[in-house]
Amino acid sequence: MRGVTATLMRELRAYFLSPLAYVILAFFLLMNGYVFWVIVSYLNDPRSPIGAPLELFFGQTVFFWLVLMFITPVLTMRLLAEERRSGTIEVLMTAPVTEGQVVLGKYLAALLFYVFLWLPTLAYVALIAGYSEIDPGPILTGYLGVLGVGALFMAVGVFGSSFTRNQIVSAVVTFAVLMVLFTFGLLENLVNDDRLRQAFGYLNLWEHMNDFGRGILDTRRLVYYVSASAFFLFLSARILEAKKWR
Amino acid sequence: MIEAYELTRRYGEFTAVGGVSFSVDEGEIVGILGPNGAGKTTIIRMITGFLPPTAGRVTVAGHDLARDPLAARRELGYLPENVALYPEMRVREYLAYRAHLEGVPRSTARRVIGEVMERTLIDDVSGQIIGTLSKGYRQRVGLATAILHNPRVLVLDEPTVGLDPKQIVAIRGLIRELGEKHTLLLSTHILPEVELLCDRVVIIDQGRIVAEGSPSDLRQQWVGNPVVRVEVRKDDGSVAGALATLDGVVEVRPYAGGPDVFLVEAESGRDLREDVFSLAVENGWVLRELTEERASLEDVFVRLTTRDAAAEAGGEPMTDELAPGERGEEEEVPS
Repeated sequence: MRGVTATLMRELRAYFLSPLAYVILAFFLLMNGYVFWVIVSYLNDPRSPIGAPLELFFGQTVFFWLVLMFITPVLTMRLLAEERRSGTIEVLMTAPVTEGQVVLGKYLAALLFYVFLWLPTLAYVALIAGYSEIDPGPILTGYLGVLGVGALFMAVGVFGSSFTRNQIVSAVVTFAVLMVLFTFGLLENLVNDDRLRQAFGYLNLWEHMNDFGRGILDTRRLVYYVSASAFFLFLSARILEAKKWR
Repeated sequence: MIEAYELTRRYGEFTAVGGVSFSVDEGEIVGILGPNGAGKTTIIRMITGFLPPTAGRVTVAGHDLARDPLAARRELGYLPENVALYPEMRVREYLAYRAHLEGVPRSTARRVIGEVMERTLIDDVSGQIIGTLSKGYRQRVGLATAILHNPRVLVLDEPTVGLDPKQIVAIRGLIRELGEKHTLLLSTHILPEVELLCDRVVIIDQGRIVAEGSPSDLRQQWVGNPVVRVEVRKDDGSVAGALATLDGVVEVRPYAGGPDVFLVEAESGRDLREDVFSLAVENGWVLRELTEERASLEDVFVRLTTRDAAAEAGGEPMTDELAPGERGEEEEVPS
């Protein structure tokens, strides 16, 4: 536990001390602000179908995924790769902490920073609430989905960072794995076999977020995020254990 | 305190360390000495648990590194060869983080950090960002990190490398002081350091132990007969001849460093200084210098680490001997 909290606190501090974090934060807010504006203006048009802006914000548009796929590798590429590159891994892994604790601490730091990135979007909720009725259910499930997908993506990011000392390699690997995970679910629409379709459907992140945005809470999806995150974190700890010295 | 049994590390075909066994007793300061690429860092890394050995076993303060790594690491303070720190943190912040990581109780951490910074002479930079520190300060921050949790065993890999002479003196003083409280294992390729600091020396070459013992034992064991250096005011040509007649003299050689100076090699274990003095009095020479040439550990070292290469030079080209060693070292240095 001590290893987790010490690592977590140091990583959080590192995030807030690095200029990259602020660049990401600015980019993230800019993108989300723009997307939100586009959605609201679209729904304001009398020709548009009736819809809830936050429902569209959390899913159904490609923007959510574009932004997430871009920021995840950038947020996580440093985590373990930099320890290897600078050599700080040597004093870290000779301290009385396990690889699992280090991986978990770094993961939680990335996830917390991710949550921090989303906090300003609460202002959108407040804004909408000021002008119309809002249904809190879909908003809660929407944020739950954001957290679940974020948990999975950050775990993939930690994994991408675990076996290289090169941050660029780390980012590319993370991006590639995320692409595979994401497009895997989209295959649902490209197969004819019913069972395969169901299997891909279970992994369809796009559909997941659409449902979360509509207020549909499906625990199978949460199980998927948690178990897949645990799997990637487990792999990262094993890789760290086996390849400390390179 | 440290026991290493048959430690072996292979990188593919190349054996960086082959069957190295030694132990460090409580309170001892032991130096691992060897030329660059001999396998010192590899050995150190296996002892600190950073690098798993291909074969062999290490215990630290009675804890087996493979079976109970956390207990062993708790007893261990480590200063690696390349002191790597987080450049964006301030010194005090970094030490607080390390204290947390090492499990120093929160209630005492503040006091402990203050004490350690005082001991390692870094309290004047406690608020500075690590990235702006000089190499000497960074080395001391690394040392502060190593002693933060008051470990029983300290392992220092090349603690003075890259420092200026003044800093080297300061760090050595600190190491000597640390040696009074902790069991110390340090690696170096700087010989005077070993003579100054260590109770015992393990000399490594090409991944094997070639000699072990106290610096004076090694000198006696590996260096030839005692030699006395004699300087007279003006040699009338008879000095060398007269010296050669003394009982116990093996050889009299002129000294390369100047005229009127001679090196008198005696039989093993004999000190000829008094005999030379009497002879000088008898012959009315004016003695300017009469010194026992102390064979340095350097001689031992050079003899031990070049002996094998020289012996094998006939059979195999020496470059083959060196190449794998250098390859091994490169793998270890993070770039």
